[in-house]
Amino acid sequence: MKTSSVRIVSFASLALGLALGALPVLIPLPLEAHHSFAAEYDDTKPVKFSGVVTKVEWMNPHIWFYVDEKNADGTVTHWAISGGAPGQLMRRGITKDVIQPGMNIMVEGFRAKDGTDNANGSKVTFPDGRQVFTSSQEPDSKKN
Amino acid sequence: MTITSADWIGRRLAFGALLAGLVLSPARLLPQNAKASGAKGMPRTADGKPDFSGVYEWPKSDGGDRCKCSATVFDHKKFAPFKPGGMPFFEPPTGDPRHDEPREFCMPAGFPSGMLSANAVQFVQGKNYLVIVHEFQRMTRIIPLDGRPHRTEIEPTYFGDPVGHWEGDTLVVESTNFKRWGLDDYYYTDRNQYRMHSDALRTVEHIRWLDGKTLSYQLTIDDPKVFTAPWTQDFTMALHPDWDASGLYEYVCEENNRCPGGKCKGE
Repeated sequence: MKTSSVRIVSFASLALGLALGALPVLIPLPLEAHHSFAAEYDDTKPVKFSGVVTKVEWMNPHIWFYVDEKNADGTVTHWAISGGAPGQLMRRGITKDVIQPGMNIMVEGFRAKDGTDNANGSKVTFPDGRQVFTSSQEPDSKKN
Repeated sequence: MTITSADWIGRRLAFGALLAGLVLSPARLLPQNAKASGAKGMPRTADGKPDFSGVYEWPKSDGGDRCKCSATVFDHKKFAPFKPGGMPFFEPPTGDPRHDEPREFCMPAGFPSGMLSANAVQFVQGKNYLVIVHEFQRMTRIIPLDGRPHRTEIEPTYFGDPVGHWEGDTLVVESTNFKRWGLDDYYYTDRNQYRMHSDALRTVEHIRWLDGKTLSYQLTIDDPKVFTAPWTQDFTMALHPDWDASGLYEYVCEENNRCPGGKCKGE
């Protein structure tokens, strides 16, 4: 596990890197209603990493997905990322097919307070630049 | 009161009959067959009552308190004065997750807290019952509309014991017999303001159509052990035919709860 609180690992694709560079640096705070975000995750410790999806648990009460990040020293960090409830995501058009094992994705979220490689994932970016918000609710909601 | 196995089977059969009745009832064909009432396009059942059948967004309110979570919370400016010497309303965390985060153990949110959770809500209405199914925890409230009184001699409950009656085009639902439990999700905003209702809670919901797409959902909190008087907050619920088309999704908290006791950990 690395100790830095913020990590940026670029994709191999230069085009993607340029595209991401043009995106606003905005990581919405997750809006979790039934998940101890305040107790477990640190909103002062944003994380940003990319890697290969190894497993997806599209189950209640919150989805979890796992990403292996290759570090510069040759080691691999195994990230476990939690998101919203499947129903909340599916109602926004985000189905279990959106994130599948083998995909290369970038995840932005917040690290667990205990410093482990658990994170609450707010935003997932795909190599083609598409993004999905995997927390309980869209960040731009006007109400609640 | 002791519930025998025969009672339990009887209740299961009664619930099955209720669902069958709802499915087969002419009212269930609504709102497609509903006759519009005037300019607002309010759907009605075959017997002329407003028909609330449909899938809605959870209750929302303009202004007021906001939660650092996705749920709606009550507006403290609506609260009546606290009763001097009454039961504490704010309860700070104790460090015991079974007290501080009971839902992390998949315990129910209860009513009214669960009703304000940020999930879809389905109303299924028949002549004698309104069934409200909330996607969060699949919480289900079966509200008799046939004039029966509240049940007696049952243990206090997380969701209360509801009965409904019509006052013109407004459905009035009174619920009693609650356990002491969290009133809403405000503790996600301030961990020292864990808002608790008492076991004397009585809630009154006034439900009516504002137009053919929006419900007025007014909720009165009457908790004489905590407040000096009842208080009320108005919400709206937006009809979502698109959500009706997709239907509610299953929510089984125990399926993959990786945060028991508030300690989240992946595989």
